[in-house]
Amino acid sequence: MENVLSILFCLTLFYVIVTSRVKAYVTVLQIQGVLLSVLLLIPFIHNFSVYGIILPITLLLVKVILIPRYINKVISELEIKRRIEPTIQQMILLPIVIVTMITIFIVSSILSKNTAMDVIPFASGFSSIVVGIYIIMFRRKLIVHVCGFLILENGIFLFGTAVASELPMLIELGVLLDVFVVVFLMGITLNRISSTFKGFEVSHLGRLKD
Amino acid sequence: MLDFFIFILLPVLSAAFCYFVKDLKTQYSISLIVALLHLGLSLLVFLGLYNTDLPTFFSSDSLSKLFLLILSNVYFWIVLVSFSYLKRPIIPKAEEAKKYYFLLLNFYLASNSAAILSNHFGMYWVAAEATTLSVSPLIYFYRNEEALEAMWKYLFLVSVGIAFAFIGILLLTLSAKGTPLEGEQLFYTAFIKNASQLNPIWLKASFIFIFVGLSTKIGIAPMHSGDVDATSNAPSPIAALMSGSLRLTALIGVLRIYQIIRPTSSAEFARTILIIGGLLSLFFVFVYMFKVKNFKRMLAYSSVEHLGLITLGLGIGGLAFVGALYHAIFNSITKIVLFLMAGNIRHNYDTREVLKVRSVLNFMPKTGWLFMIAFLAISGIPPLGLFFSEIKIFEGILFSDKPYILALVMFFLLFIFINMGKAIFNMLYKNGDGEQQSYKSEKFEFSHFIAIALLILLTCIAVFSPNILYENIINIAKDFGIIL
Repeated sequence: MENVLSILFCLTLFYVIVTSRVKAYVTVLQIQGVLLSVLLLIPFIHNFSVYGIILPITLLLVKVILIPRYINKVISELEIKRRIEPTIQQMILLPIVIVTMITIFIVSSILSKNTAMDVIPFASGFSSIVVGIYIIMFRRKLIVHVCGFLILENGIFLFGTAVASELPMLIELGVLLDVFVVVFLMGITLNRISSTFKGFEVSHLGRLKD
Repeated sequence: MLDFFIFILLPVLSAAFCYFVKDLKTQYSISLIVALLHLGLSLLVFLGLYNTDLPTFFSSDSLSKLFLLILSNVYFWIVLVSFSYLKRPIIPKAEEAKKYYFLLLNFYLASNSAAILSNHFGMYWVAAEATTLSVSPLIYFYRNEEALEAMWKYLFLVSVGIAFAFIGILLLTLSAKGTPLEGEQLFYTAFIKNASQLNPIWLKASFIFIFVGLSTKIGIAPMHSGDVDATSNAPSPIAALMSGSLRLTALIGVLRIYQIIRPTSSAEFARTILIIGGLLSLFFVFVYMFKVKNFKRMLAYSSVEHLGLITLGLGIGGLAFVGALYHAIFNSITKIVLFLMAGNIRHNYDTREVLKVRSVLNFMPKTGWLFMIAFLAISGIPPLGLFFSEIKIFEGILFSDKPYILALVMFFLLFIFINMGKAIFNMLYKNGDGEQQSYKSEKFEFSHFIAIALLILLTCIAVFSPNILYENIINIAKDFGIIL
């Protein structure tokens, strides 16, 4: 079941690479949020506990409802154009991503011979981290950078479930809160940037140099 | 529980108070009381007069005691000077920033204390991210374009960096597979005890991710750019706070993983990484100093230099390790003076360009002299603190297995000193065109008093070298398994 969800997660990454609409990024974030919440819920299907369900519910609330809504609000408030304006074309980025992902999967399966871990969630999580970085590197719009950062965060989350790290719930909630506040602050900053620089692209940020 | 209340809960409560009470003077008094209590208690803890009794996820050892004292010392002086700083006229748009100034400062204190006192990697991560959140709105204090860009870059770069550190933490869990630590919580203490059983490949990977991720926050090259932008565009008290304490809060995360890796077979690998990071930082500063244009940026780069030196010393080990910890103390104190005086100069000349600032010693003699003394201190001129710590670092490098590094370090530091000196002495002495050579009197400001007090403190610590401090640092070295 984890493997199926991880593969679905990987498919969302391909979609996010080929799409050229900003709103599609938000949709992908929502889908990834749902997948992660389901992944967290799996252990509680057979032995239900109220305590264990708090984290998936909070995750669903933050990653599927609050953050995407907030980003959509920022997009409509700032009247950001729909297109993402890449620095390199999707069709060039796609093969790069495919090669990267194949490498990650092969390397993880080699590594798993020495250490017990779930290969597919591990590799999917790592792919998502790399794709997040690619998006930050190869897209011009700052709002897309925020989405790239969130895809990276989702990847880390999946990665965390793969290595079976059991952080205490208090800390998991703290992490979610931190991510939410970061996005919130980024949104406010974007608002300011759009009113100060009359634009939301990286090319506007070039004042600070050595 | 009193310690937990004063170190973490009280600043949070005081932040909430600052949200509801709009009067700036009340906010200032409350924040000052909190800072004073924090300083008092961390001093008591440091002197061993108060035994800490912290809840789960938090604990204190020699390292956190030292860093906590540095934090509360820097924070106290910054809060003290903040009110007189806020009274200065600024553009009307920036008035709203004052409302949140003390709120964010209190939040900063709480999150930094939590990060330093945490003994769990997850807790450390949450607190370290919170420090970024508290400080980035403060960078945008002046509400101008440069500050906005600096805030965005700092927030984004450091958030991505910290996300990388989180990957490092997860890899650490992976390294514990098949050891008694499997399925256990990520407590430092447990990991240090069982370090030798950890899987070396994952441990190395974990060290790299945590080091690279946190170096965006420490300001170690080549990840220093966001940090330098932020430090050079933030208001002076905040810049001093970032240089003096925030960078050390990030450094403690690297030190924790270094402490775990020390007794294992991967120790040599971690040492090499730390040494390369330190040397690379010195190299970047060395190159930058040839083309100094903006004096606050120059000071930000000076922080990169000194954090690089500290990292180098920690990597070399032996006496250099002890020197590096002394260096952290002295650097934090000197940076407050430098940034406050730079803030006075910026305020008076309304520019940050080195070329537009002329004959500071004529127009602002008090600021000028204190700026010069602080510059001499940061360059390691005796008897001002940093001389002693740098000598220790150099001696450590000389008697280590890599003595040739000393030649490189000396070369970089010499040119950094010459070029920084050139810029600063031009600002202080050179006369502008057609200006009269007349000495003007400058009003004695509160920031001058603080600068003098700090310079005296710096010299006293260096000259008298309190035994308790020495013992504490030796204890830290012992915790790291360093043979002196």
